[in-house]
Amino acid sequence: MILPTTTVGSFPKPNYLLKARTQYSRGKLSKDDLWELEKRATQEVIELQEEVGLDILVDGEMYRGDMVTFFAENMEGFRISGLVRSYGNRYYRKPIVVGRVQRLKPITVGYFTFAQGLTSKPVKGMLTGPYTMAEWSFNEYYESREELVLDLAEAIRGEAEELERAGAKWIQIDEPAISTRPEEIELAIKALGVVTAHLRAKTVTHICYGEFEKIYPKLLELPVDQVDLELANSNYDLLELFRRHPFTKEIGLGVIDVHSHLIETKEEVKEGLKKALEVLSPQQITVDPDCGLKTRTWEESRAKLQVMVEATREVREELGGRLKG
Amino acid sequence: MIATAVGNYPKIPNPPGEPKLRRGIAKFERGEIGEGDLRKIEDEVTQEVLVEQTTAGLDLLTDGQIRWEDGQTYFARRLVGFSIDGLIRYFDTNTYYRQPVVEGKVEWKEPICFGDYRFAQDLAEKPVKPVITGPYTLARLSQNGFYPSFEDLVMDLASALNREALSLQEADPPWIQFDEPAILKHKEDFPLFEEAMQVLTSGLRVKTSLYTWFGDIESLSPQLFRLPFDLFGLDLVRGQRSLGLIERMPGGKGLGLGVVDARNTKLEGEEELVELIRRVAQVVPLERLHINPSCGLEYLPREIAYQKLLLVAKLARIAEEVIR
Repeated sequence: MILPTTTVGSFPKPNYLLKARTQYSRGKLSKDDLWELEKRATQEVIELQEEVGLDILVDGEMYRGDMVTFFAENMEGFRISGLVRSYGNRYYRKPIVVGRVQRLKPITVGYFTFAQGLTSKPVKGMLTGPYTMAEWSFNEYYESREELVLDLAEAIRGEAEELERAGAKWIQIDEPAISTRPEEIELAIKALGVVTAHLRAKTVTHICYGEFEKIYPKLLELPVDQVDLELANSNYDLLELFRRHPFTKEIGLGVIDVHSHLIETKEEVKEGLKKALEVLSPQQITVDPDCGLKTRTWEESRAKLQVMVEATREVREELGGRLKG
Repeated sequence: MIATAVGNYPKIPNPPGEPKLRRGIAKFERGEIGEGDLRKIEDEVTQEVLVEQTTAGLDLLTDGQIRWEDGQTYFARRLVGFSIDGLIRYFDTNTYYRQPVVEGKVEWKEPICFGDYRFAQDLAEKPVKPVITGPYTLARLSQNGFYPSFEDLVMDLASALNREALSLQEADPPWIQFDEPAILKHKEDFPLFEEAMQVLTSGLRVKTSLYTWFGDIESLSPQLFRLPFDLFGLDLVRGQRSLGLIERMPGGKGLGLGVVDARNTKLEGEEELVELIRRVAQVVPLERLHINPSCGLEYLPREIAYQKLLLVAKLARIAEEVIR
């Protein structure tokens, strides 16, 4: 099937889970009780995705706070700092590298196995990439950034391979920080190569928030099958870059603006998709929102995904007709 | 040698400290408290931060920019001509700000910092310096949806912020600091920058400083030092090359040495930094040197930010003893 639909990873956490996470952090709820609620929320996320009709599912990351801190908390070599502000009134605990980074136990495999057990559709294994882990942590231990990034790559490789053994057909390794330091893209490519070297699963990396013109076409050297990019919130400007230098990998095409409360119309999404199809082949494209949905409400997420799936279905049918005709 | 801060300071302490401001903003957004209540909380936290800087041993404080959501919107919201759009990354950090959009002719209508500055100055036991985001950086970090040319936008902003600085001058601050980190990423724009800085500082009698961060001043030296400021703040952590360029500084100008890394929790060793200060002091005498973190401290958790300030203050004391 052409133009499969998916999401980038995160879903909004239901209120009961947000409350439970606060209680857990205050020592008023056990890990087991939290896990029960995480399972309930994961089940709801899987159901939503099936109802909407997405093709490749995610577990919704109900167990994560921050994408870097969650992995750091579950690896050796990190301490978690006090609160730092990321924007507005939002704060998070940023990891500090204080020793040699290692993965001693599975981090996401249990969550993946649970989610995949709920559906016959493929669920993506979801990881944060080594470059982003390093860039978004404080470093008090490693003399060189390269050493830190490569130790992280080794740790994440272990997790990715175990996800594959657990049955993951798609593994997504998010590297949003790549676009913020164009001068270090070689290091990011090298590190991602360590993670994906022995994987047979379809590999994806999600990149966002950057000056893509500075890392394009270099970013096509990232050793993954698919690069997932945000197009909707920049009015599909990236397509101009692809016109000048063809996009040679599969692309995760962000067609939904996740930062806006407004629900896109079907026509808007179809128009975006068709614009993309002028420069990209249908076989190259997986359709998804620009980024994770965790900052939207549950209702907004459902409505946005519904529009995305319907628009994609119509474009798919139009294309199918044209291919036959 | 003056121990000082560059600008912002973490807005909330860590547990068991009470995150007053975070809670206050959340309550305000839910409509549970009014604007006056929120202002009061901002006042309290500003006072807390002034005391913390004094206790750490700084000689020259900022108000911690507790009321600023970020360096751009604080000004853009209060100037004519801007609207505020969605989140965008601040340089290469993992922090975001709401991007100002220029929708009409930019104009200054009323004092922006004056009240906040007076409040801090009245409370503090040490002198406080007000900070203004410079016109070049404000223009670079905004989206221009009005002016036919970027140059026109920069120059109108320079006039508007000059009026802001003139109004601040009435409060008789010891210094006015202007922040211009963006020029380090667009050095080719120096001729425009120079023109804007002339307009920005026109009519000011107060001492002025120009702070930059996240890069070095290579290819901007020595012309940068000829701009009409009394002191130049340099990030010597992410712009180590600048150190080799200060030898070409014209006499009479001061330096703000950003030698303590405000973006990493690791605490620097004193000896190496004292050595660095000693080298600089051979070119610029101690009485014209400020020492400070490499940029604002909001990238760090509160308790580490405080440790960094302690280190800054200690370096200043050691330098006075050892080098003088």
